[in-house]
Amino acid sequence: MNIITACSTKNTVDEVVKDINEQLVLFDAKLLLYFASSKYAPDYISRKMQEAFPDSAVFGCSTAGEIISGKMLDDSVVAMAFNAEAINDVKIEVIENLQEEGGVKKAFASFENHFAVPMSEMDSQKYVGIVLVDGLSGAEEGLIETIGDMTNVVFVGGSAGDDLKFTATHLYANGQSYSNAAILALLKPGTEFTFIKTQSFCDLGKILEVTKADEEKRMVYEFNGKPAAVAYAEAVGVSVEEVAKHFMHNPVGLLIEDEPYVRSPQQIKDNGSMAFYCGVGEGMELSLLESTDIIRDTRIAVNQAVKELGKVSGIINFNCILRTLELKQKNLTKEYGEVFSAIPTVGFSTYGEAYIGHINQTATMLVFK
Amino acid sequence: MAGRIRRMIDSVIQQRAVGNPMLEKIIKTKMILKGVNPNKYTLESDDDPVVLEKLERMLRELK
Repeated sequence: MNIITACSTKNTVDEVVKDINEQLVLFDAKLLLYFASSKYAPDYISRKMQEAFPDSAVFGCSTAGEIISGKMLDDSVVAMAFNAEAINDVKIEVIENLQEEGGVKKAFASFENHFAVPMSEMDSQKYVGIVLVDGLSGAEEGLIETIGDMTNVVFVGGSAGDDLKFTATHLYANGQSYSNAAILALLKPGTEFTFIKTQSFCDLGKILEVTKADEEKRMVYEFNGKPAAVAYAEAVGVSVEEVAKHFMHNPVGLLIEDEPYVRSPQQIKDNGSMAFYCGVGEGMELSLLESTDIIRDTRIAVNQAVKELGKVSGIINFNCILRTLELKQKNLTKEYGEVFSAIPTVGFSTYGEAYIGHINQTATMLVFK
Repeated sequence: MAGRIRRMIDSVIQQRAVGNPMLEKIIKTKMILKGVNPNKYTLESDDDPVVLEKLERMLRELK
C-alpha cells in the first residue's frame, strides 16, 4: 500500500498526535495530509503534527466535520499518508494576506524553482495541485481564478471550516497555523490520477439572469430585472418570506455542458437582495436547481473513477458542509461514509470547494490510481 | 469594431489547449466562470472592452 489513512477521536492534541503516529509508525510517509476539527488548538496541533513527522511534508486545515474511509466523523483528526511511490515529489507554499496581489505568483515561482519546470508549461497529467483556503476569507474566487490563469495544472481543494462557528478557520503548514491565508501544494504523483466533481441536483428549467450584482461581495441585487429575492421566490414557487427554507434544496447553478457549477444562496437582505456563498457575475444565466440523491450520485461518480483508472488507491474528498448538513438531516451520513469503505479516503466538510472555479454544494475529489 | 472577442477566444484556446480536448474543455469552463461564454461570441460580436480585458489577462498570465 502506497497510500494509507489514520484517524483519531481522542480529546487532546497530544493524544491525537500520538494515536495517529502509532497508526502510521511503520509507514515511510513522504507527504502527510490531515484535517482536524476546530476543537483542537490550531498552533499546537500544527506544531505537534510536524514534530511527529519530521521527515515528511505535512499540511492540512481545520474543518466542519471529517471524512475517513467508511465514516463521516465530528470532533476528530483524519490523515492520509503517501509514500515516495505514491508522491514522487511535493512542494508546499503558504500564501498569507489573501487580499494582497502577488501571492500566487510568488508561490508559483517557488514551484518552478523546485520542479525546474515553468508553471505555464507544466504537464497537467503529471502534476496536480491541492488548494486549501481560509473559509471565512471570501477570497477564494480571485485566488482560484488567478491560479487558473497562470497554469493548466488543475488545483483541487476546499475552504477550511470551523464546525459551523463561523469565527476563524485555520490552515496548517510548516508547524504553524495561518488564517486569511491559503496553502498551495504542488504534487508530482508517481501514479495516474483523476478528479471527481459531483453534485446532486437536477435542472428545473427556470433561468435567473443576474442583472445587477456585486461579484466581489457575493451579492445579487436583481435577477431578471426584479429584486433578487422576488425573482428567486417566484421561480421556486413560494413567497419571499418562505423562500429561505428552500435555499439548501433549491440553489442555482451555472450550467456548463449540462454540468451545474452551483452557487448557493446564503441570506435574503432587507432590501430584497441576496447574499451567496460564492461570487455571481452580472450577465450570468443561472438555472434553478433541485436536490436529488447524494448517495446514489456520489456512488456513481466514484464507480466511474474506479472504472477510468482501473483501480483506486486513495481519494481526497472535499465535501461541502451543505451536503453534510443535508446528509445529517436525512440521517444518511453512515451511507455516505460507506460509499468510500473499500477505498483509502480522507476528507472534510468544507466551506466551499475548488475545481476550476470556486463552487458550492459540491464534492470535489482527487483520486489516485 | 467587431470580432476581436471571437478571435481572442480562439487564440486563448489554441495557445493554452494546444489541441488537447480535455484542456480545451477546462479552458472553456474557466472562461464561462469568468463570465465569458465562448458559445455566445461570433465574428460579428461587438468588441466589449471588459470582456477583452478578461481574455487578455488569460493570455498574459500564462506567459
